[in-house]
Amino acid sequence: MTKKAIYGLSVLAVVLGLYGFYSRLFIGEREVNYGSFVTWGLWVAMYLFFAGVASGSYMVATLDYLFEIPLFKGVGKYALWGAMVTLPAALMSIGFDLGHMERIWKVYLNPNFSSLLAQMVWGYTIFGMVILLTLWMVFRSPEKPPLALKLLMVVGFIMAIFVSGGVGALLGVNASRLVWHVGLLPAQFPIFSAATGFALLLVILAFFGPEDDPRLGQQLRVLGITVIVMLIVKTYILWADFSMSLYSGVPQNVDAINEVLFGQYWWAFWIIQIILGTVLPVIVLAIPNLSRQRLWAGVMGLLVLVGFAAARANIVFPALTIPELEGLATAFSGPHLSFEYFPSLMEWSVTVGIMGLATLAFLIGLDRLPFFKKVQDLSHER
Amino acid sequence: MNTSAEVKEVTRRNFLRGAAGLTGAAVALAALDELEAHPETALASYEAQIAALQAVNNDPTQMDVLERMRIELLRALQKPVEDRRWIMVIDLRKCVGCHACTIACVAENKLPPGVVYRPVLEEEFGEYPNVTRRFTPRPCMQCENPPCTPVCPVEATYTNAEGVVVVDYDQCIGCRACIAACPYGARTSDFGLTYTEDLPVADNLIVGMDTAEAYERASNFEYGEARSRKGHSSPIGNARKCHFCLHRVRVGELPACVTTCIGRATLFGDANDPHSLVAEMSAKPNVIRLKEELGTEPRVYYLV
Ligand code: SF4
Ligand code: SF4
Repeated sequence: MTKKAIYGLSVLAVVLGLYGFYSRLFIGEREVNYGSFVTWGLWVAMYLFFAGVASGSYMVATLDYLFEIPLFKGVGKYALWGAMVTLPAALMSIGFDLGHMERIWKVYLNPNFSSLLAQMVWGYTIFGMVILLTLWMVFRSPEKPPLALKLLMVVGFIMAIFVSGGVGALLGVNASRLVWHVGLLPAQFPIFSAATGFALLLVILAFFGPEDDPRLGQQLRVLGITVIVMLIVKTYILWADFSMSLYSGVPQNVDAINEVLFGQYWWAFWIIQIILGTVLPVIVLAIPNLSRQRLWAGVMGLLVLVGFAAARANIVFPALTIPELEGLATAFSGPHLSFEYFPSLMEWSVTVGIMGLATLAFLIGLDRLPFFKKVQDLSHER
Repeated sequence: MNTSAEVKEVTRRNFLRGAAGLTGAAVALAALDELEAHPETALASYEAQIAALQAVNNDPTQMDVLERMRIELLRALQKPVEDRRWIMVIDLRKCVGCHACTIACVAENKLPPGVVYRPVLEEEFGEYPNVTRRFTPRPCMQCENPPCTPVCPVEATYTNAEGVVVVDYDQCIGCRACIAACPYGARTSDFGLTYTEDLPVADNLIVGMDTAEAYERASNFEYGEARSRKGHSSPIGNARKCHFCLHRVRVGELPACVTTCIGRATLFGDANDPHSLVAEMSAKPNVIRLKEELGTEPRVYYLV
């Protein structure tokens, strides 16, 4: 029932996305609201988010294939498949953001490796291959992870940390954007990624986990507690970052933080990121009875994911809404020359469409890929 | 480019006309081709042009600074490319905030809506009766240590032999990483718009609409390449920025903003020439550079 509903929702999302895909592919970037001042918008935030979920999911898969924790035996595949569908979603998001996406091959043929962006394109491409290889090995030996798989998981785990930290560096290396520079984003991001990996697995198991697996309640409970811990760590990092920035009082930095806390989109921070994405899930998942129930656990996992998506956006835009020079905002006016930003309908459409495609791909894999059948068979046999 | 024999005497009037960019960018492009094909002829022509300018007036203290800078420019062009070091000096006390430079740049480089290379920032200070305004023209600083180039994933933007930070439009993938990295907001992205398209007016109500449309689509000549605006071809989708009008400079013309500045506030030239106006002015004690603390080493100096 739930699955059918989610199938329906994801098809609807894809349909809603068609307008954005068409506009972006056949008209170009005219209908976007990001511009020359807020250079990166929703799509870059979603790239960071999806890339984080992909690397985080891979990290979570090590519970099964590397550390062989009995409680999580058999669920690593879900995490891996989650990584496999979110990675292309990340690449699509960033691909659509390129002014000349047809030239992406240049990053492979004439890369400038001093550029974090080039490193990330290569890093995520290799990481994607690692995920594929891991899936293939898992498929070949569903019973017990062979040594080669364990070694691969070690490599993949380390890569996941690097690539998820790397996207933090993508922003962090811009020394002139203080709010990105002082926040030590390459250190924050792997933690954010792991948190979203756990949250995604919580959602997947809650909504699609094998019906009759007696471990499910316990799995949800353990994942819920892990998510709570991660959220607390994340909130602490946020506190450290913001309080330090505000305390030191460098105007450009203070302005950016104030923009997040009290700016036009204060609600994205306080309501989505803090209340819905952090406080509510922490409370609900802390209650043993609720956290074992599929619906509660799943919805809370979803809220955590939405909160993290908002968190990524709250990192990307506010830094860009502070004019680099006094008077720049009013010196010359024209389309795409604004320090204010809210994604356009077309940008939302693309993002919704990408989410729909990723979810659809996930569900189809779940239904069609032979190894999910095997997982379910295995849990039946147990 | 004319051969030395053909050089006609450059009167002050037609020099100024040429300097104002009225000779047309297409002529400049032809001149660039000629320069590549026959560098010796070009060199001789520079000599002749300098002589012609000096024949009219040979006292640097009496000359219009535009004439002096043009002579110095032609002199610099006789040196190997890597021995030139183009800089700009902007005297904020002389800027009246007319924005003519901004518009000259828009016209010269045929910038579409949303793309600007040289806005003039306006600030107001003080309280009545002690109120004052400051106008700061802001071209690309052509940083000696530019944060915008190392972040480019495909080396599409780099510092060329003359020290100017350029963008290779055919290489640029439009990721806008360079725009985010520039501490001066000096880069903008071309989103493929035009001024005339989709104007909410009934047909034929704007006189000359067709001409305006054709003008917008016709080529610009940045970097000495003719690029018309059609479809999604570069520079649409690319990062764009001030390039000190290299296509003009290479054929002996001053940047468009310099020639149109009514206050003669913007000076341009070769800092490696110790006798140049810019070398002289950039050594004044009242010179500053924007955001010096970032270590970008701008090549644009401000006199305050
Ligand atoms: S002013 Fe900006 S665009 Fe120009 S060279 Fe410096 S960093 Fe690059
Ligand atoms: S927008 Fe173009 S020039 Fe700028 S970093 Fe990206 S590829 Fe390089």
